[in-house]
Amino acid sequence: MDNPVKEKTSIRVLCRNIVLIKNEVGLQWLIGSPFFPAVTIVSTFRCLHTLPSKVLSPNYLQEAEDLRTLLLRGFCLIGALIAEKNPRLEENARDAIDASIRMRKLLYGDGGELGCQNLIGAVADSDSGKVCFYVSRSEDSTSIETFTSVFYDDQPEKYVWENGCLLRCELGFKLPFCFPVNHSTDPKEIFKCATESIIAKFKDSQVVYMVEILKRTQTPEKGSRPVIFRCSDLDFHRNLSKVELLSDKFGGSDAKSLTCSYFCSESKPVSSYNFVETADIIEVSLLLNRSGKPQTATAPTAEYFPALEEARVSVLEFKLDVLCYAAKDLPLKYAVSSLIIPGLIDQLTSMKKAVLPHLLVQHPQLCPYHFSPPGVLHPITVIYELRYGETEMKQVEVRRSLHIRLGLPLNRPLLRTVNALKFSTLENDRSSLIRKGSPLLKDVHIGLPSSGVSGGLVSLVQGSYEYYHYLQDGFDDSGWGCAYRSLQTIISWFRLQHYTSIDVPSHREIQHSLVEIGDKDPSFIGSREWIGAIELSFVLDKLLGVNCKVINVRSGAELPEKCRELALHFENQGTPIMIGGGVLAYTLLGVDYDEASGDCAFLILDPHYTGSDDLKKIINGGWCSWKKAVDSKGKTFFLNDKFYNLLLPQRPSMV
Amino acid sequence: MVKAVVGDETQLKLAEDRLSQSAVYSQVGLVIGKLNSRLDRGFVFDLIPTPVNDGGEPPCSVAESFRDDKKKGSKGKATADSSILVIDKDWVAEHARQVSRMLMGGVKVIGIYIWVTDSLFKNSTISLCQTVKGVAEAASFMEADLDERLLIHISYSPRRWTCRNCMLTANITSSSLRTCDFKMGRVLSSLQTFRCMYNFDLRLPICHENASNARTLGNVLQHGISAHAKELDDAKAMVDGTLVAEDEPCTSDGLHEVELLLPFIKDASAQGCNRKDVGGVLVFHGSVCSFAYLNSKEPISQAVADIKGDIITSLRSRLDIVCDETDGDSTLDVGIEATNVMSNVPTPHLNLQELRKTCSLSFPRRVFVPWLAGTYICDYIQPSETLEVVKEHCVELMSIEAPTDASMILQPEREAAPLVSIGSFWDVAVFSHSASSSDFPSANNNKINADRKEISKKSIKKADFNTIAALLALLLSILVGSLLYFNGS
Repeated sequence: MDNPVKEKTSIRVLCRNIVLIKNEVGLQWLIGSPFFPAVTIVSTFRCLHTLPSKVLSPNYLQEAEDLRTLLLRGFCLIGALIAEKNPRLEENARDAIDASIRMRKLLYGDGGELGCQNLIGAVADSDSGKVCFYVSRSEDSTSIETFTSVFYDDQPEKYVWENGCLLRCELGFKLPFCFPVNHSTDPKEIFKCATESIIAKFKDSQVVYMVEILKRTQTPEKGSRPVIFRCSDLDFHRNLSKVELLSDKFGGSDAKSLTCSYFCSESKPVSSYNFVETADIIEVSLLLNRSGKPQTATAPTAEYFPALEEARVSVLEFKLDVLCYAAKDLPLKYAVSSLIIPGLIDQLTSMKKAVLPHLLVQHPQLCPYHFSPPGVLHPITVIYELRYGETEMKQVEVRRSLHIRLGLPLNRPLLRTVNALKFSTLENDRSSLIRKGSPLLKDVHIGLPSSGVSGGLVSLVQGSYEYYHYLQDGFDDSGWGCAYRSLQTIISWFRLQHYTSIDVPSHREIQHSLVEIGDKDPSFIGSREWIGAIELSFVLDKLLGVNCKVINVRSGAELPEKCRELALHFENQGTPIMIGGGVLAYTLLGVDYDEASGDCAFLILDPHYTGSDDLKKIINGGWCSWKKAVDSKGKTFFLNDKFYNLLLPQRPSMV
Repeated sequence: MVKAVVGDETQLKLAEDRLSQSAVYSQVGLVIGKLNSRLDRGFVFDLIPTPVNDGGEPPCSVAESFRDDKKKGSKGKATADSSILVIDKDWVAEHARQVSRMLMGGVKVIGIYIWVTDSLFKNSTISLCQTVKGVAEAASFMEADLDERLLIHISYSPRRWTCRNCMLTANITSSSLRTCDFKMGRVLSSLQTFRCMYNFDLRLPICHENASNARTLGNVLQHGISAHAKELDDAKAMVDGTLVAEDEPCTSDGLHEVELLLPFIKDASAQGCNRKDVGGVLVFHGSVCSFAYLNSKEPISQAVADIKGDIITSLRSRLDIVCDETDGDSTLDVGIEATNVMSNVPTPHLNLQELRKTCSLSFPRRVFVPWLAGTYICDYIQPSETLEVVKEHCVELMSIEAPTDASMILQPEREAAPLVSIGSFWDVAVFSHSASSSDFPSANNNKINADRKEISKKSIKKADFNTIAALLALLLSILVGSLLYFNGS
């Protein structure tokens, strides 16, 4: 691997900006990859477990345990960053390097399966946010050098995904084990042996690894044929940093020297969004070769061994799911032996640890999920316990601390199971089936021409929503259902943002919940009575637990004055706003506001549309469009003699 | 439905010559070959006449003895019209059952042939169809979708071969028969040979369920084999080191080695036992050597399917042999064994839920006898038997002479070596399944091995104590019993 440090002292930072919170004091782990030049920072993980009262002293064991699960094989710890008030640069950098040396020992063993590498010690001033980088050339902190230049990459996704791909191995198995009822031998010891025997089997001579491209569509693609690796083909002692990357796509004619690029599509454009969805994913499966040498064959025998003391069987179910990152030039056999197999062992080991305390009571249902949260360049793996509901406090706490570790906002659910990456074609099919049931248009405002406000600042709804309007689903609500439809659009936003999993309620269900809370009489159900902003806030509170802010204006002419407040709402909350009041109800998706001139426009989604779900018709008819308070013909959109209530749903502070 | 059938020209010519020279009036026998429902084709390898039954009677005869009239032209014909064919259906079915045990890898009893006049054939179609059905039941295919067999009629005046396909419906009528396109061609000489040495190691826990539900060793094995058949279904395969894709033809010649790749530990056998007490573990392990023969028109995946089917069939056949044998024994020994019933129960019929001691049941080993054009048939030898048995079977069932040179017979499987003396319950129960047969009984993982030894030591001590206690109790009861007896007298 080339080592640019020797030539020039320049560091490459791929994460957009190192996540620093003002005045935050603490330690962050710097993440790199053995496939990148040695001083390339891909992301940072905040250190969460520290010794009591010492923010800068990590609890190494706990941190290692967490990072081992979280970090994909193919990425590794390459240093640490210390953020402090008035830092003593060199001293703090040494501390950071020492911390990362200790951490690497825990994660990668004493010899270091990744080999010796230049470690980075970074120091940040928590007041100014200024970061200085140091590097240690040897595996200790005695001699450190500072970097003269720091290079921030503009297109980090491109850097990571043009040269790399993902490998995935899913392995489910049932592990039965027997233990004496009187505990004359500790069941935990027996269980440990049983898991160790499984780990040993990953490298057993009978195990065969089948490598193929993940099929994303049901129709069989004419692609590369699967490649088989026997355990005897694999080299378990080769240091990943010493593996030679082969740029030759086919590595000669030998299947054993094929590289990952054999399964990767040629030069696919890397989009900055959804990189995982476009990335090449190679699937690895474990199989047992049951065929042996003819010399060792013996005719079958059945033998019965009675238990001479009372014994009991317990069957534990394991679901391993390992995701790894590899350079496309990495030979496949090393991807299996140095990424997939250690990944499987790590995951099984951490699951074993989680199961042990509950061995003979109720077994936890552990399930790994992979996420690709926005702003984090690489996917991460999380093991969730599925026995509890997702909204259970314990699970919320788990997600909260993950959000903190990754520097994710604490009011956006980004790591729920619905956010997880989906790989199998079956899962995709299932979600498309659901979509067939509700062929609703999403995000109709995208691609609209600009509002015509010169020099205005556009603030829009954040995230997806579905467009609900009159006469949908064959339900005739023309003339009275506009507020219901606006509410449905708002609830769909909460659904699509994963704040809730409830279905979007029908008119009747909305009426029912208003009766239930005592706001309306039972006769209200099935009626054609209008509802307003206040009723909407009741329903949102009842069904989603969402609070709302209400803005009242006595006349439509006052609305432009509220533009600054509305813009702020879209920046901070990003939820769709319902406009109700004296006359018609609308959904407000954004504002375009020029502070200097006071010129403004409102992005209105109109629920009074009665046509079919045809985007062209909707856009041409102006059912979703920018409306100026006063248009070029002098017509006002909001009526001066009517009052308006604006309902601003507040984004729940939850993860 | 099979529409076209090709018969091996060399073998069928020989069979035809044999029939015409034998001057028998009628003959029934088995059709050996392959049926491929996906290709709608049948391949006939050979015809095997059914031998005379235990009473020395031929399996088929004409109801009235007009055999002398055979040559008397018009008169003979007239009498033949009124006579009917009598077939010993059960005997033909039994022949099929035993022959099917000796066939392997896709080669099967695919129907019957009959050598009679046209008129007799027409008179006896129902009886023939019933014979076909009986044969199909006795030598059933693993694949349930193949519900048809062949009925080949060789008529001697005029000399003509007709092949009909007989649908195995619930009530067979003459409408179940359809004529297929039949021709002679190269079949045996174009076969491709596939070989697989399959190792397995099943650990079947025996749970304490309701005691009334007796589970004999034979039952448990039967279930175990069926469960394993499902597992084997999912297996992928490599032929000569390359993964087999669907519908690929076999392009290279020579012997092809098949390797079966099973899902990593998908052992469902312990599933029903979760959180239950176990009485013991039944370890069923060993190897099956298997062959399959592929016609050049069939895809390579067919050979893999044939190998998989053959492995399961071979296990089932061996279990049947072991069970049959002991069935025979127990009926013979009824008079003698009254004294000590419990210890004389044949091993396959032992109720495992009550059994408190180790026991082992060795399966017969499979040997391979050269057959036609470089192919092999197989037979099974019990530990107590010699190759003479095989030779007998060849003559009786297949009507071939076994090679006098014993080295011509392939014996890839060694005699089963029970491990009971080496291990104990804890040795086998720590691994409820094992990948390597090599890690059993001499595990390479020392730590685990040490742990196991400790466990087994403990259990042995306990066992010793138990036996001593039992002996003491027995002694005590004898003493008390004899005291009472003497007091009484």
